[in-house]
Amino acid sequence: MGIQVIDPGILTTVQDGGRIGYQQYGVTPSGPMDERAFALANLLTGNQAGTEELEMTFAGGRYKFDTDAVIALTGADMKPQINGEPIPMYQAVSVHAGDELALGFAKVGCRTYLSVSGGMDIPLVMGSKSTLTSKHLGGIDGRKLQKGDEITFTATVSEIPLQEKRVLPQPVYPAETINVRVVAGPQDDGFSRKEFRKFFWFSATIANECDRQGIRLNREIPVQHIGDGNIISDGIAFGSIQIPPNGQPIIMMADRQTVGGYPKIGTVISVDLPLLAQAKPGMRVNFIEVSIELAQELYLRECRSRKEIEERWRA
Amino acid sequence: MEDIKILISGDKAISVQMGSEISLEVNRKVLMLQAELEKNPIAGVTETLPTYASLMVHYNPEIVRVKELSEEIMKRTQTMQDIAAGKKRIVEVPICYGGEYGPDLEYCAELEHTTPEEIIRKHSQHDYYVYMLGFAPGHPYAARFEEPFSFKRRETARVMIPARSVVVQQNLSDLIPFDQPCGWNIIGQTPCEICDYSRKDPFLVHAGEWTRYRPVSPEEFRKIRKQVEAGKWKPRIIE
Repeated sequence: MGIQVIDPGILTTVQDGGRIGYQQYGVTPSGPMDERAFALANLLTGNQAGTEELEMTFAGGRYKFDTDAVIALTGADMKPQINGEPIPMYQAVSVHAGDELALGFAKVGCRTYLSVSGGMDIPLVMGSKSTLTSKHLGGIDGRKLQKGDEITFTATVSEIPLQEKRVLPQPVYPAETINVRVVAGPQDDGFSRKEFRKFFWFSATIANECDRQGIRLNREIPVQHIGDGNIISDGIAFGSIQIPPNGQPIIMMADRQTVGGYPKIGTVISVDLPLLAQAKPGMRVNFIEVSIELAQELYLRECRSRKEIEERWRA
Repeated sequence: MEDIKILISGDKAISVQMGSEISLEVNRKVLMLQAELEKNPIAGVTETLPTYASLMVHYNPEIVRVKELSEEIMKRTQTMQDIAAGKKRIVEVPICYGGEYGPDLEYCAELEHTTPEEIIRKHSQHDYYVYMLGFAPGHPYAARFEEPFSFKRRETARVMIPARSVVVQQNLSDLIPFDQPCGWNIIGQTPCEICDYSRKDPFLVHAGEWTRYRPVSPEEFRKIRKQVEAGKWKPRIIE
């Protein structure tokens, strides 16, 4: 008992908190692109952090429920409807057996998360339900959803405690320019001080090549390396900003390779990654340097605020 | 000990650089630190990733902050234990060289001004050390320490090469787990799966292990391939 996929949208995959512990074998963690929207959807449905959700890209598609459920949608506003009637984003909503959920295109932002109270019955591969389509791993047969897929829910839930209170403010995503904070390193010493500063002076444009693996940027003036633009390959974090020899940055996202041989001038801070996850080609990106201490303080603040919400809704 | 450096990789990871070169010695230190952190875990560390010369340590800043983690790791680099010397685990990998399986074998022989047989001999006579896995699940970055080839990458990369290809340049040789783009020369193919999610341990080789390549005929290749597909094949391990 769960949902049937009538129209899978453009790119809809199952993602959970990520495949942890396998990067040492070359397996990328995957998980949601927008960790904030993902976490809030699970909070709204009363799920444990990291419970699997559907991540929809650009356009959501249509899904038929054959059981009652409590759902929540977060991230980009795809104007969701149940049986043709609009339903709110960022709110726990009851649906009934026979209902059809339809989502359109996201005008602003590009990724929407669907959480179902209780979670979905998806096989674990290496401890995770996350899909890595490029390596045919996890999720539903290692691929994006397709018409006719059926996903069984782990539990039948028709109402959850304090459901009417489970509402969160909907974020407004920027449509043209995002400001993204960056911690220097690990290879900021691969650039002269002047080149390093120039990285922050000039904005960049998001190229068409942007997906779950990485976001390519175009700069009018490429970033110059001190050396030949190669390092001894080392580990890559979520948000690492690689500068390949051509000087055009690539920000490494959820499906990134685990290791790479290009210098990384900096790393986008965790609380600003959702801005990139929701950004579209053609948008401008400004970078602002911050300290690691501030980055961690902002992350902790966000974790605390989520815990407060969780406490508030605890029955 | 050579200068150990801790590099900041954003607010949830650090890269512990154990040296500044690709060598067995530096890589062993990386694996020693990883072993130390597995044996005596630091609260908040979520996973570690060994590479040629550094160990990436992923952590949760809710539990441990960058300063205390870095200090603790530096302490561990002083107390970590040597990996048992002489303990060498070799995974024997059958390879069918040349022909349809290794379309670049003859070209490599031309580049080296030698015969295809001599390329095969150099490739299969020496053991390869697996520095790390990366790029794709189970993809080994491996190197031999004797008789390197002189050629590097091809001038233009191929858009797609088949899974299980065996590719070479200089002293390096990788086993390709999945179809992928590649700029190296293909000298053969192995019938075994380099990454198979259905196995309990999906990966044929692991960082710190060695590989030894055994040339097989097309007939033997097909025989082993059938066993692999039936889930009945196991690699020979030499310890």
